[in-house]
Order: sequence, then structure tokens, then C-alpha cells
Amino acid sequence: MTALLPVPAAAPPVADATARRRRRRREALAGYLFLSPGLVLFIVFIAGPFAAAMVLSLYSWDLLTPREFVGLDNFTRLLSDPLLPRVMANTFLFAFASVATHIGGGLLLALAVNRPMNRVLSYFTRSAIFFPFLLSWAAVALLWKYVLDPGFGLVAYYLGRIGIDAPNWFVDPSWSLTAIIGIDFWYTIGFTFIILLAGLQTVPTELVEAARTDGANSRQILFNVIIPMMSPVLFFATIITFIGAFQIFDPIHIITGGGPENSTRTIVMYLYQTGFQAFQIGYASAIAILIFFVIMGVTLLQFWGARKWVHER
Amino acid sequence: MTITSVPARDLLTAPKRRTRRRRRARAYLLDLVLLVVGVLMVAPLIWLFAASLTAPGSAFSVPPTWVPHPFSVENFVDVNRMIPIGRMALNSLIVAVLSVGGSLLVSVLAAYAFARLSFRGSTPILIIMLSALMVPAQLVIIPVFIMMRNLQLVDTLTALWLPALINVFAIFFLRQYFTSIPRELDEAARIDGAGHLWILFRMLVPLSAPALSALAILGFQASWNNYFGPLIFISSPDKMTLPLGLVTLQAGHGGAPAAVVFAAITMVVVPMLVLFIVFQRNFVASVATAGMRG
Repeated sequence: MTALLPVPAAAPPVADATARRRRRRREALAGYLFLSPGLVLFIVFIAGPFAAAMVLSLYSWDLLTPREFVGLDNFTRLLSDPLLPRVMANTFLFAFASVATHIGGGLLLALAVNRPMNRVLSYFTRSAIFFPFLLSWAAVALLWKYVLDPGFGLVAYYLGRIGIDAPNWFVDPSWSLTAIIGIDFWYTIGFTFIILLAGLQTVPTELVEAARTDGANSRQILFNVIIPMMSPVLFFATIITFIGAFQIFDPIHIITGGGPENSTRTIVMYLYQTGFQAFQIGYASAIAILIFFVIMGVTLLQFWGARKWVHER
Repeated sequence: MTITSVPARDLLTAPKRRTRRRRRARAYLLDLVLLVVGVLMVAPLIWLFAASLTAPGSAFSVPPTWVPHPFSVENFVDVNRMIPIGRMALNSLIVAVLSVGGSLLVSVLAAYAFARLSFRGSTPILIIMLSALMVPAQLVIIPVFIMMRNLQLVDTLTALWLPALINVFAIFFLRQYFTSIPRELDEAARIDGAGHLWILFRMLVPLSAPALSALAILGFQASWNNYFGPLIFISSPDKMTLPLGLVTLQAGHGGAPAAVVFAAITMVVVPMLVLFIVFQRNFVASVATAGMRG
């Protein structure tokens, strides 16, 4: 209709504006189209289930009989669950041990490898450290169950040769979690090692050389140059390791089933037993929400603490 | 820096020689430590291969066997008799290929929308998706299980790969990668009459090959090794993937002898070892790339 108005001078900008608007609308349409598969899947498999878990935690349900609304009962029950302190202690102990061994061990190994050295030895050690990470927990857990066997296992035999009586790892409650920590180290140290090695290689050599010419010793270089320069990578590795470790499940389920005497029962194992073995869907959802808040809380805490030691580059 | 330090070093020849000798001694010591670490890392695997190739009766002798003697492939034959391991390997492959291929396709499309197209709600949607990275898998698995049960998809391979199609990390990672590719390239292509699909699949995707291969490797490994999903969804042996199959072989109906379990583990480990030796650089690079995001 505007085209009929006798204002030829204004016509081109108007046509321009409508064309631009139409182009913008078409671009937005394309945007929604491209995003739609991901968005639908996100709603169906993440956002929807997330909301459903919140709702389910307010019910008592065994999947067979009709569910019953119980309000916050599942949460009050969780807080007074006599097993919960033990389960949380196991999980945090495992997570802290995992972070400490992986970051410490990974950093030491990365430092030891990151220097001119024999090519065969370099290839061998890097591959040997990294390779187990490519296997599945199922293969690793089963293999180590036999490696640690008190009767015919490697560890018992060679410890015996040097005069140490190996404990009966998965029968003795004071050793079972330690054994899982050790197996986890063997399995996933390659991941931390590679990430920290990549981080280490971004530290400019001139900086290290300069510090050395200025008379800094190796320890000073490590703590005052290398670690500050690597802090973003160290921070990332810490968070990833913690989140992964807090959700440890596979080896527990495969080797110990949470025993002996609950010594390896972690929070996700407890969730699995509650939800998929006892079919207490509501209570299991409450446990899942607890896991969510703990992970979120610790992650936020780490981000908050990171302002003190992580250097942005 | 080097120029100024040369005369100073010349003056200090004697201490220099001493530090050099000490440094070399330390290098040898480090070499030795690394060698020991490497041997300790591979020892369980060597034992695994050796014992699985030993005749059932003598596989687990004390002291441990490091050389298969008497040599036998009987354990491997037994694996095949006790579980459908070929079928399980095929299942693992199907699930991994569909998960990785499908999730990369979905992620590439979404990443293009976030990186190149402006539409209302794009930033809030991205933020909501990213915050879901903090949601642990266990929180959503119960409702997803109920959903799969209602759709009668429990005990099917679909239950394993369908939820894996959404990968928020991949979407974000690719969005960052696309954003780093100059927009002028798109505009030049658009002037030549190219549409969004052409720009995405003929230009951005090829230019993002390193990111895509890193995501593909990590995704394949995650799917191939997944235990929690199959444990919850799958119950019949011919629908199982390898990790669950291994565990049922060891724990199910009385449990197989250790030597047979070892043979089964070997059958799972060796293909991975071959892949690793062939594609070593890619494996390591993919982990390093994912890590450098931080």
C-alpha cells in the first residue's frame, strides 16, 4: 500500500527496510530450524527429565503400584538416613584422594617427561601411561580384580617377594576403598597426564630460562613460574577429576557391590541400589538431587577459590 | 638474553661442569623412574595377554606366567561358547556409530545456529543448555528410564543411542570453533549464492575437522566403554554391549573361569590397542584439545 503513495524519494529506504526485516525474519527462521533437533532432544532427554526428577522426589513410587504424594518426606528421610554419613564420607574420601593423586601424579609425570630424552623411552612411557584410559571400566575392573587377588594375583605375589603381606583387598573393609583409588589411578591417570602435559608445553621456555639465569632453583621455578602459568589447566583438571570421581560407580558395582561393610558404597552406588534394585523411585530421585547440589556446590566453591590462585591469561 | 649470559658462563666453567654432571645424573635417574612407571603400567596388561593364551589349567600359576606356556587358544573358544561376544561387539559398534554420528550432526546444526544466525532467545537458550552441563547423568537417568519403559524401548539398542544424541559439550565446543572462523568467508560464499546448508557443510565443517575428530574420538570412546546405560536398560545377552557382556560373563550363572574372563578381556583390549597404535596422535590430540578448553 505504501508503494501507491506519491513519495518516490522515500520509497527506496522503505523497500530497503522491509527487505532487511524480511531477511532478518528468514535468518531467525533458519536459526530455529537448525537448532530444533538439538533443542527437542535437549528438552526430551535433559530438561524434561530434570524437572521430572524434581517432581518424582516428592512422591513415593515403586513403578508398579500408583504413586503417592509425600511432600518432602524423601528429603527428611535422606537427612536421617543412617547410611548417608558413611556413603558421603566414602564418596568425598574417594573424590579427594582421586584429585590429589591425579593432579600430583599427573604433574610429576608431565614434568618428568617434558625434557629432551631418549625417543624410545619417551614413546614407551607416554603410551604406557596413556593407554589404559582408552579401555572400559568393565575390562579394567575385572582385570584388577584378578591382579589384586590374594591367591594368584600379581600384587600379592610381588609384594610377598619383597616381604610385604598383601592385604585381602576386597574382603578387608579398611583396604577396599584404597584398592579402588589405586585402580582408578592406573586407569585414568593418562587423561590428567596428557592434559597437564599439554598445559606444561604452553609455558614459554624463555620464562623458565630467564628464571634460571636469574638464579632460581628448580623448586622455585616449579612453584613460582610453572604452576602459576599452568593454573588454568590445573584448575580445569581439578574440576573435571572431582566431578568424575564424585560419580564413581562402575568399579564399585563390578568389584565390591558396595561392600565389605559398606566400605566402598558411594553415593551413585547407593542411588543405583535404591532406584534400580529396590525400585524406590522417589527416594532415589531425592538422592540424585543431593548429588546435583553437592557437585554444583563444590564446583562453585572451586570457581570462587580459583580467583585466589588461577591466573587468567 | 643468551648473549648477555655467555661471558658470565665462561667465567664459571668449573661450577658449570659440576652442575652439568649433576644434571646428567638426575636425567638418568628420571629415565629410570619413568621406565619403572611404564613397566608397572603395562605389567597387568602383559599378564592379561599371557594368561589368556595359556592352557586353562596353568594360566594362574604362582609365580605368575609371563610367557604363555603351554600355549592354547581354548579360553578364547570358551568365551564364544559362553556369551555371544561377536554379537556384543556388533552392538557396541552400532551404538557407538549412531551415537557419535547422530550427536555430531545435531551438534553441528545447533552450533551453526548459535554461531552464525541471530534469532530471538539464542543467548538464553545457550545459557540454559550450558548450565545443564552441571547436571549429573544420574539425575536424569530415572525419568529417562521410566520414559523408555513407557515407550517399550527398554532392552533395545535404541535406549542406548537415542539419549546420546544430545551432547551439550559438543554443541558449545563447536560453537566456539565456528565463531573463531572469520565471518567474511560466509559472506563471500553468500554473495556467490550459497545457502546456510552449503556454508555449514561445505565450508565450516571441513574447516573444523580437528574439532570434529576430537569430539568423534572422545564420543566413540565414551559410548564404547559405557557401562551404566547398558546396565540399566539391557537385560538380554544378545542386546548387550561389550562392557556389560564382560561383567555378565564373570558374574552371571555361576561365573566363567578366570582364564576365560581373561580371554574375553583380551578380546576387548587388543582391538583398542591396535587402534591406539595406529591413531595414537589423534587420540592424544583429542584429549589435549578437550583439556585446553579450560
